[in-house]
Amino acid sequence: MAPRSSERQWAVVFAMALVLSVGGLYGYIRSSQPAAVAPRGPVLATLTIEGGGWTIRYGPVSTTNNTVFAFLREASERMHFEVRYVTYTIPEGVLVTSINGTANGSGGRFWQYWVDGHYGDRAADRREITDGASVVWTFTIPQGGG
Amino acid sequence: MASAPWRRVVVRGLGNGRAVQLGLGLVLVGVLGKLLLLSYANFETVFVACLLAGSLLGRWYTVLVPLAVLLILQPLYWGALYPNFALEAMAGISFFVVTGYLFVGLAGRGLKPRVLFRIQSVALLTTVSVPLTVAYDLWTDVGEWYFLARPAGIGFVTVLQLQFPFTLIHILSSLIFVPLFGSIFLVLMHHELDLPHRSAEPREGPGPVPAGRCIVWPGVLTPSSPRESKLIWSAYKYLYFHVHL
Repeated sequence: MAPRSSERQWAVVFAMALVLSVGGLYGYIRSSQPAAVAPRGPVLATLTIEGGGWTIRYGPVSTTNNTVFAFLREASERMHFEVRYVTYTIPEGVLVTSINGTANGSGGRFWQYWVDGHYGDRAADRREITDGASVVWTFTIPQGGG
Repeated sequence: MASAPWRRVVVRGLGNGRAVQLGLGLVLVGVLGKLLLLSYANFETVFVACLLAGSLLGRWYTVLVPLAVLLILQPLYWGALYPNFALEAMAGISFFVVTGYLFVGLAGRGLKPRVLFRIQSVALLTTVSVPLTVAYDLWTDVGEWYFLARPAGIGFVTVLQLQFPFTLIHILSSLIFVPLFGSIFLVLMHHELDLPHRSAEPREGPGPVPAGRCIVWPGVLTPSSPRESKLIWSAYKYLYFHVHL
């Protein structure tokens, strides 16, 4: 019967268009994400955390935790301060929400990081630190990638 | 016994028990989907719940479903996930989120006359969901810029640039959830009384009947009660299976 076959054709065309759109978009989103950082040998790095009224300094130390986030976790474990974060699957990466009891949003300020003076433009677990790196976490108003 | 006027208004606004069940189902989809997908930024089911509330159920559900979902989610969002935001920022962003989803529900309501139990309807809803998702994101960006970014001296263009990858994820979410839940709820709606589906288009005649066969054409008979509709549909099924197979 004509209406039934037309409906079937519609279903096939729609399913194909949908699979192509979803697949293409998903592929683009995945490919546009920063790659995971590969583990490397130990690097010498320094960490400074400025919480607006308090400061924590860690290092210089030799570490194999060669991402900004892993280095922060290492410091939190050794110096016994709390780090809270949310892990996102899409887009992949962690968002640090609180350090040493100071949480994002308070007074319109958020946790942001700089590596050797460069503003963090990606999730902290996707930013590699190299030998001699100076990592600074500051609780401040968003910098918008500037 | 005549029912009270307010009761008639409520019944007219909410429809029958099945419509109420579907409305509650959409609220569940919106709330549970959002909570289960928290680790997927902008991958959410509130949008599809609002769109389907307007385009499938219409009536008061266009407004009630978005409001109910957000009444549950917003306190959880601000209370558990982001508890330290200033009250002004929470209220301001919530305003943009709520009005954004209400807009989605109302846009869906505008499509309701064109949404039938057909593949084209799912395709239409899916297609429309893309510009609607972009419009929703643009609207909430205005709120985020005004209440969070502007006080920090960040321009609207920068907010849009930062939002871009998240909008792509939001579109992906709509492309997956609108056809998925759209199909499920269309089936649930149109099998409400186990009725054969009807189209708003002019009905074609069954054409010539080949010798020895009988063509069953759904929608020719019009039931006047649920009991009658079940009887008619049973007859259809009987005829279909015994004459065609």
